[in-house]
Amino acid sequence: MDLNQKRTRMVDRVDSVDPDLVSPESTPMCPFPDEVLEPVLSLINSHKDRSSVSLVCKDWYNAERWSRRHVFIGNCYSVSPEIVVGRFPKIRSVTLKGKPRFSDFNLVPEDWGADVYPWLSVLAKAYPFLEELRLKRMAVSDESLEFLAMNFPEFKALSLLSCDGFSTDGLKAIATHCRNLAELDIQENGIDDLGGDWLSCFPETLTTLQVLNFASLNSEVNFNDLEKLVTRCKSLRVLKVNRTINLDQLQKLLLRAPQLTELGTGTFTQDLVTRPVADLEATFGSCKNLLTISGLWDTNSLYLPVIYPACASLTFLNLSCAALRSFELAMLLIHCKSLRRLWVLDTVGDMGLEAVGSWCPLLEELRVFPADPFEQENVAGVTESGFVAVSRGCPKLHYVLYFCHQMTNAAVATVVQNCPGFTHFRLCIMNLGQPDYVTNEPMDEAFGAVVRTCPNLQRLAVSGLLTDLTFEYIGKYAKNLEILSVAFAGSSDLGLKYVLGGCPRLRKLEIRDCPFGNAALLSGLTKYESMRSLWMSACNLTMNGCRVLAKEMPRLNVEVMKDEDSEDSQAHKVYIYRTVAGPRRDAPPFVLTL
Amino acid sequence: MDVTLGLLPDSPAGDDGGGVPSGGSTTVKSILTKEDNNKNNMVMCSEVSSSYPVGDQNLGDLELGLGLSIGGGGGGGLKGKVVAGGGGWSQYARILTAKDFKQNSCSSSSCSVSIPNSATDSVSPTNGNSVVGWPPVSKAHRMPSLANENKSPTGNRISVTEQTKSKNRTVVINDYSNEKARISDKKYRSVKVNMDGSLIGRKVDLNAHTSYEMLAQTLEEMFFRRRSSTEAAKSSRLLDGTSEFVLTYEDKDGDCMLVGDVPWQMFLSSVKRLRIMKNSESNELAPRFQESHERRRTDVV
Repeated sequence: MDLNQKRTRMVDRVDSVDPDLVSPESTPMCPFPDEVLEPVLSLINSHKDRSSVSLVCKDWYNAERWSRRHVFIGNCYSVSPEIVVGRFPKIRSVTLKGKPRFSDFNLVPEDWGADVYPWLSVLAKAYPFLEELRLKRMAVSDESLEFLAMNFPEFKALSLLSCDGFSTDGLKAIATHCRNLAELDIQENGIDDLGGDWLSCFPETLTTLQVLNFASLNSEVNFNDLEKLVTRCKSLRVLKVNRTINLDQLQKLLLRAPQLTELGTGTFTQDLVTRPVADLEATFGSCKNLLTISGLWDTNSLYLPVIYPACASLTFLNLSCAALRSFELAMLLIHCKSLRRLWVLDTVGDMGLEAVGSWCPLLEELRVFPADPFEQENVAGVTESGFVAVSRGCPKLHYVLYFCHQMTNAAVATVVQNCPGFTHFRLCIMNLGQPDYVTNEPMDEAFGAVVRTCPNLQRLAVSGLLTDLTFEYIGKYAKNLEILSVAFAGSSDLGLKYVLGGCPRLRKLEIRDCPFGNAALLSGLTKYESMRSLWMSACNLTMNGCRVLAKEMPRLNVEVMKDEDSEDSQAHKVYIYRTVAGPRRDAPPFVLTL
Repeated sequence: MDVTLGLLPDSPAGDDGGGVPSGGSTTVKSILTKEDNNKNNMVMCSEVSSSYPVGDQNLGDLELGLGLSIGGGGGGGLKGKVVAGGGGWSQYARILTAKDFKQNSCSSSSCSVSIPNSATDSVSPTNGNSVVGWPPVSKAHRMPSLANENKSPTGNRISVTEQTKSKNRTVVINDYSNEKARISDKKYRSVKVNMDGSLIGRKVDLNAHTSYEMLAQTLEEMFFRRRSSTEAAKSSRLLDGTSEFVLTYEDKDGDCMLVGDVPWQMFLSSVKRLRIMKNSESNELAPRFQESHERRRTDVV
């Protein structure tokens, strides 16, 4: 490749790059020839580092774009596929994220967009040798999956997380045509499960599978075909089956694949005992490499002990499908001394969490999900005392997601004192507007304690009765905060103004049902270009306010989603994001770009 | 007081100060060191005051006493194991409160401890079920067998329907086309509800209700904390004018009307949003209904 040719290539920018830094007239003063620079830069994998590298000078910008193999696009509408392929000629792996996160909770109407097909048609021409595609919250149709299967002969890895619009027919196409498939990871999607015969579409010649996750599908697959697949794929390290796989079948699979590092079991109980439980226990004992166990549907005290022999080296245990009681969890955790990540249902109660504190000193991440989130009467679940108990026993805890019905300011203050290293603090008090149930005060001081005590806090989700004071604390102290989720909180515009005036590293802000109005929105004018996106729904924004914002900031897309039952002047759902691609061309009628 | 131990409500069998519930499986040992005493005493007192109304009668129901180490609800064998495991989690002693027993009495383990009924009041949750997308539990972490679509009251239908819309696409294999048709027919119809003096606006699904009474009860649940569940059986206070608030709505023409005057179906077709208004402001209601409202007030008097 002629060096001069590369240096004078036109610069197209993907990020909002300062034009002064990369100017077409810069003289080539860089002492490193490209042959040196490119191999060095190819060792850099983090996309954030690569973005920094590309800003150094024009030579580095060019060297970086030629050496990049993986591109991460956090918002599919922030850039167009043409711009991406124009800048990066040699991509092998693409990660794309689409809908705003609140679409997980049904706040975004169907047909909003984020269709992957337009991307695929551009990628097929530019990157015929694309190997990996990872999609999150994208709309994926069966046609898209078929297109993918037929147009990328080297395709190896497909990961679909929270996507919707496709059926198992699309999976059939992938299984049939992707000869080199190494990864098929289907999680949490709105998928039409038309049957389990997609699994039988894997050809007999396919031996390259390393990751197979179909835990979220419901149809029964042909077990013979699955067993044969597992047998011939000697490099299989991740296998997560669905609920239809019973214990006997699991036993057979484990015997075929003792090299597994991550296992998702099927139903973990049986009515008719066909084989002694001791056999299965021994099989688990022979799986020396297991680091993760999930699944465990319907398990109970009779069958759970089967996994004990494999627990000593486990680092991640996902029990969010197993409604365990406190003593069942306690008995299990005695064997899990190396555990770093634990996901449980709140059926384990505070006593279960005390067991966590006692037996898992290395714990870094805890997620407690509500077993019955919509139940109002007679809910047990976990309380503040379980939270405190974990923090006492697990000083390395830095990630928590905690659903509860009651909390106190004092308890949260204690928790963060015990674990000042929090990076992700997501507390969901499920009763709306619930104050500290002991003092009856707002929960302001709780989150104040969090932001003051945890300097590394990157992600925060707040709940309970909160006034503007919470946001004053957040704006003032949360210097490293990147993601903030707010619902049913605040007293006035001041709340949002505090956050927008502080939090220098804020990237994603999602707000619902708060009394923040136009003045607050406009106070953040200059900040939005440094953020990925802002979501505000059911607040006090009006169309006029949004129009002002759109006018002042042309490089933002200010989109308003019209609701049937809202007045014309109210902006019921607003989604604002920076973009170099201009307004969406595929917006449905209910999305107005101002 | 030197060593204060577990706080055990009186059991109906009238046990002595030992206070061991006959259920046998749910008492917890609490050992406090001397230096923890003051702090724990304070915590205990504040929890007592929030769980029970102040008054000698109720405090007299509480007895201080020793309890046994908890071994788990499963049986003797398991109990032995836990204790033998080097103290395990029982070493993290803490004060018992009525919440512990309340929690256990709701779960499957047997427990015959009686809780003074006022204890449940202070922690009764606000009804949040009519709010779309709350709690923010994404599809993956909702177990199909635990999410109770069947048993939820009708007021929940909107959020559950929407939640299960995506979920049902995996759970119910063949019903996809029906599901989609149902949603696009918009069988649910939610309107906003605002209450004077409350910053939090809510939404309620009108099609999930069949009468004014039902609607008013849902709204009362949403905006006013229930004192006890027995009150629900009586007629709604919002509708009969005995509350300090009136239930009004904004119709298609933008007029503010009093709820309850027109037949339910007619109301459904013209209502745009609801407002729980303070009684003092009800003079601003459209004149046509002012009359009937005044008539009603004099009737009550």
